[in-house]
Amino acid sequence: MHTSTLIIVLLGLMSLAYYMGRKRSLNLVSGRVRDLHSLPSYYGLLTALWCGIPAILLLVVWISFEGSVVTGLVVDSLPQETQNLPPERLNLVLNDIRNLATGDIVSTTVDENMQQAADHYARLQGISHMAMFVAALSLAILAGFIAHRSISRQQRARNRVEKAVNFFLLSSSTLAIFTTIGIVLSVLFESLRFFQQIPVTDFIFGLEWSPQTAIRADQVGSSGVFGAIPLFAGTFLITLIAMVVAVPIGLLSAIYMAEYAGRHFRSLAKPVLEVLAGIPTVVYGFFAALTVAPFFRDLGASLGLGVSSESALAAGVVMGIMIIPFVSSLSDDVINAVPQAMRDGSYGLGATRSETIRQVIIPAALPGIVGGVLLAVSRAIGETMIVVMAAGLSANLTANPLEAVTTVTVQIVTLLVGDQEFDSAKTLAAFALALVLFVITLALNMIALHIVRKYREQYE
Amino acid sequence: MTRVEKSLARRYRQERNFKRLGLGAILLGLLFVSFLFISIFANGYTAFQQTFIKLDVFYDPEMIAPVGETDPDVLSAGNYGGLVKATMRELFPSVTSRRDKKKLYGLISTGARFQIRERVMQDPSVIGQRESIWVPADDDVDMLIKGHIDLNLPESDRRIKDDQLSWIQGMQEEGRVEKRFNTTFFTAGDSREPELSGIKGAAVGSFFTLLICLAISFPVGVAAAVYLEEVAPKNRWTDLIEVNINNLAAVPSIVFGLLGLAVFINFFGLPRSVPLVGGLVLALMTLPTIIIASRAALKSVPPSIREAALGVGASPMQTITHHVLPLALPGMLTGTIIGMAQALGETAPLLMIGMVAFIVDIPGGAMDPSAVLPVQIYLWADSPERAFVERTSAAIMVLLAFLISMNLLAVWLRKKFERRW
Amino acid sequence: MDEVINRNSTIARELKAGSGAEVGMQVLNDSQSSGTVGDIYVDDPRMTCRNVNVYYGDKQAIFDIDLDIAKHQVISMIGPSGCGKSTFLRCLNRMNDTIDICKVTGQIKMEGQDIYDGGLDVVPLRASVGMVFQKPNPFPKSIYDNIGYGPRIHGLNDDKDHLDEIVETSLKKAGLWEEVKDRLDQPGTGLSGGQQQRLCIARAIAVSPEVILMDEPCSALDPIATAKIEELIDELRENYTIAIVTHSMQQAARVSQRTAYFHLGKLIEVGETDQIFTAPRHRLTEDYITGRFG
Ligand SMILES: Nc1ncnc2c1ncn2[C@@H]1O[C@H](COP(=O)(O)OP(=O)(O)O)[C@@H](O)[C@H]1O
Ligand SMILES: [Mg+2]
Repeated sequence: MHTSTLIIVLLGLMSLAYYMGRKRSLNLVSGRVRDLHSLPSYYGLLTALWCGIPAILLLVVWISFEGSVVTGLVVDSLPQETQNLPPERLNLVLNDIRNLATGDIVSTTVDENMQQAADHYARLQGISHMAMFVAALSLAILAGFIAHRSISRQQRARNRVEKAVNFFLLSSSTLAIFTTIGIVLSVLFESLRFFQQIPVTDFIFGLEWSPQTAIRADQVGSSGVFGAIPLFAGTFLITLIAMVVAVPIGLLSAIYMAEYAGRHFRSLAKPVLEVLAGIPTVVYGFFAALTVAPFFRDLGASLGLGVSSESALAAGVVMGIMIIPFVSSLSDDVINAVPQAMRDGSYGLGATRSETIRQVIIPAALPGIVGGVLLAVSRAIGETMIVVMAAGLSANLTANPLEAVTTVTVQIVTLLVGDQEFDSAKTLAAFALALVLFVITLALNMIALHIVRKYREQYE
Repeated sequence: MTRVEKSLARRYRQERNFKRLGLGAILLGLLFVSFLFISIFANGYTAFQQTFIKLDVFYDPEMIAPVGETDPDVLSAGNYGGLVKATMRELFPSVTSRRDKKKLYGLISTGARFQIRERVMQDPSVIGQRESIWVPADDDVDMLIKGHIDLNLPESDRRIKDDQLSWIQGMQEEGRVEKRFNTTFFTAGDSREPELSGIKGAAVGSFFTLLICLAISFPVGVAAAVYLEEVAPKNRWTDLIEVNINNLAAVPSIVFGLLGLAVFINFFGLPRSVPLVGGLVLALMTLPTIIIASRAALKSVPPSIREAALGVGASPMQTITHHVLPLALPGMLTGTIIGMAQALGETAPLLMIGMVAFIVDIPGGAMDPSAVLPVQIYLWADSPERAFVERTSAAIMVLLAFLISMNLLAVWLRKKFERRW
Repeated sequence: MDEVINRNSTIARELKAGSGAEVGMQVLNDSQSSGTVGDIYVDDPRMTCRNVNVYYGDKQAIFDIDLDIAKHQVISMIGPSGCGKSTFLRCLNRMNDTIDICKVTGQIKMEGQDIYDGGLDVVPLRASVGMVFQKPNPFPKSIYDNIGYGPRIHGLNDDKDHLDEIVETSLKKAGLWEEVKDRLDQPGTGLSGGQQQRLCIARAIAVSPEVILMDEPCSALDPIATAKIEELIDELRENYTIAIVTHSMQQAARVSQRTAYFHLGKLIEVGETDQIFTAPRHRLTEDYITGRFG
């Protein structure tokens, strides 16, 4: 029996419990609902909740611990010399045992011991599964039965059901906090382990990045060089190019939409521009690599310039295109928030539209625009797919947009895609980079939101 | 007065220029959109067709199995590769040297032998008979037929050599070469051979991933929004949650991938590359979008409805479930669809949890290794074969079609249920 | 307010008994603990309020109000806008619970039961103290469902036929039956303003409350619709206790038997409606009645 079958069975039991609880409450008052404290359906719901929730909680706990308990038992049964292996090697052996047990392909030749261990593993897992089914089902039936028995006229079923729902609502809302904590912890822990191997100063101020040197673990100096400055510089360069493209176009189109465009034009052009925002970044990446980068390369060649086929320019320009709708919709909000009275004041003096825009509206909207641009910057820094597909891998420290550079996100992807050992500096470096990324985007976002809020309050 | 008039011409010129600048910016934006779409379309539409070659196959009992054999094990062990080769040799008897033969066999996709095997397994009575069947051509041939190979290049730089060219021309004259609708593209999983690869595996993977994502993020997102908007008192704690949600909305997606890697895979020991983990990660990612949209939807329900319900003695929870939620639901659904569209297009976090593996099989559930559409696009975009370029573009077209329909659905929902109080 | 004046109700009753007819303006003797002029007590109270204070955060909106609400009577509450009429009215069925920052102290009893008692469930309370709001707020559902909703959630109907019956009698009592009986399945929001308000009254009646609170129920209606509602209120008095907030003195005079005058969160004067409008005893009441402010 599969776990999903069990869940379906549980759901079936819950429906049954609902039906029985409802019926019992009605029987208690021989159909006169007004003699009950709550509507019959609440008695049904309460019974169903009692039937389902404890069993499901049991399932969750069981499944979370099943793996480690079974593995621990299997390890204990392994020969002593295998048990004494270093943790990484032991893990490999365990992986093979698991694969063998599930009938997948195994990386080494299978010997007697392993076959035994695999059988043991499969058996234990079978027992555990069986026990889980039995335990969960009996718990469901027992709890449902007790809840059913305790139904009475005066029982405050509605209040209890509502309490349970309230608890669900509350815990759902805390998920956002747990996500943040999860991000911080997972990134922070691995980063700390990284900084135990590589000093923070080397990471933040180092001018050379080449994590790929470790071929054999016992080689001398195999830890690679982890100076992140070239990555920061590359990220900065591409972000800068993106902003040079996105800010003027986004801002000017927002101004045109808000101040000049007629209703028809607006209702047509706005959604089309917003299409840009809905296109997945992998599509932009493909577009950059397939169309834009060769275009710049050929253009450069015809002008006698050597443009790399993975130039920062191509990635930056395409990223800029991606960000245009972001900048324009934020600026649009901000410009529309400028009070009409301010415009009228300027027009009243005989100023033209463009003069009003440049000398009254933009200065008034500036904080909001700055906030929006900061949000866009944070977006650009964290953008991954475009740079992974269109920017390079080599960490050049250069300010020349025609050369290839690499970025923080590109390196995270490169370091983590494919097989990884979880202890090598190479893998951990990805987490250190992610920490930097997280902190910077978070800070930018906080500042931007603060500025925008201040700006809004000013005109409210 | 005259002073003002003097500068007037200049000011109007400035005005016109400024206006043109704004219009130019918008047109540039529109130009980008159209350029992107045209580039994708121009590269991709050919992928919906595939070149097929007609072969006169003799189902040779010696190579497959004796006539009358029906045991599937025996049938499937037949030498179908040899059968294809023999058919090709028969078609071009003049080709004799080993090197030339190899080039000749290269014209037909390696998928042909599986197609023939399937045919025989289905109907063993064909053994010993002769039959004309259409088999897919190799991707290089396909590219040639579609005109993607530049014949002006020197032979050594071409994927299709001169004698191959003449064979193909020969077959074309006999009417053995035809472009047909590429069903493989919609029914197959990934493959190393472009002509055998399809998006079904990735599409199904995307479906499972989104299903998990929706199953988690919609109830949790709505519940969180209801809690914050309807139930919770405004205090430090709810402020904290709110700040958190706003910040999560701006965390780069790749960081969510790292979270998934560290928590779901390394801590909870879930397998890599499976839709379950992908869906979990995407759910955490889309949660802020859904919460923010749902709160806006709840805010737009007028307080008088709540008062009315409370006034007749509905409990707060009944007020919410009977009155507020039904009225806010269209808005919540709109937000959720937009969140799902985002999730469908998301790539980076899925790379982190190992959804970049090369997976041929079409996943059968949320625990089977699988790819998703955007990752498939990424993988194909990385492949050197020219034929994968058009398939990448075609996959993008499919993805965009999904996204556009989802967004249209959201717009339609919003329009349909828009309410003015 | 005036703390020195005794808080003992029996003494106050005796004082009242002796005061007779020739009462002058601002007879302090006659006022109760909170400084209210007139008789806050009635012989047969449905609800009794003692020392009610209401705070919105740090700001106090209601000061020390004592008031009885009699059975089968209409009591109207008048006073300048912002004086706390709505706030007080909403205390009577704990609608104020929905405002986070709102805090109520003191005692409000209904049939001897303190409605602010911690263990009390507000749901049955609100079923027995119904409310009609300033702006008609029918649910965006059918007319039938608007009326049927309350009985359904309280489990008042035995079956579908019974519910039909409840809906019909409620609509009849609200004087709306003839107008809507053929379109019960159409949305309640499609009715005219006055009809909507009567629908809301019918909705309140459907759960058989004892008290109906009305917060300026006619302020959004035209004069004809207003007249209909006033007529209705007069009919409803037979079966229900009604507390109505109104900013129209004419309306108060037309529909109510007792009138309470509020000023800056305090209950200034309460008495027979005739007396309040013809011979107010407190200066503030007189100023308001004669239109010197308000
Ligand atoms: N939700 C609220 N939050 C804060 N203050 C309120 C709120 N509702 C009413 N008040 C304040 O309480 C006082 C009384 O208001 P209200 O009872 O609405 O007056 P009325 O109905 O007599 O016009 C006013 O000063 C008002 O500002
Ligand atoms: Mg009021």
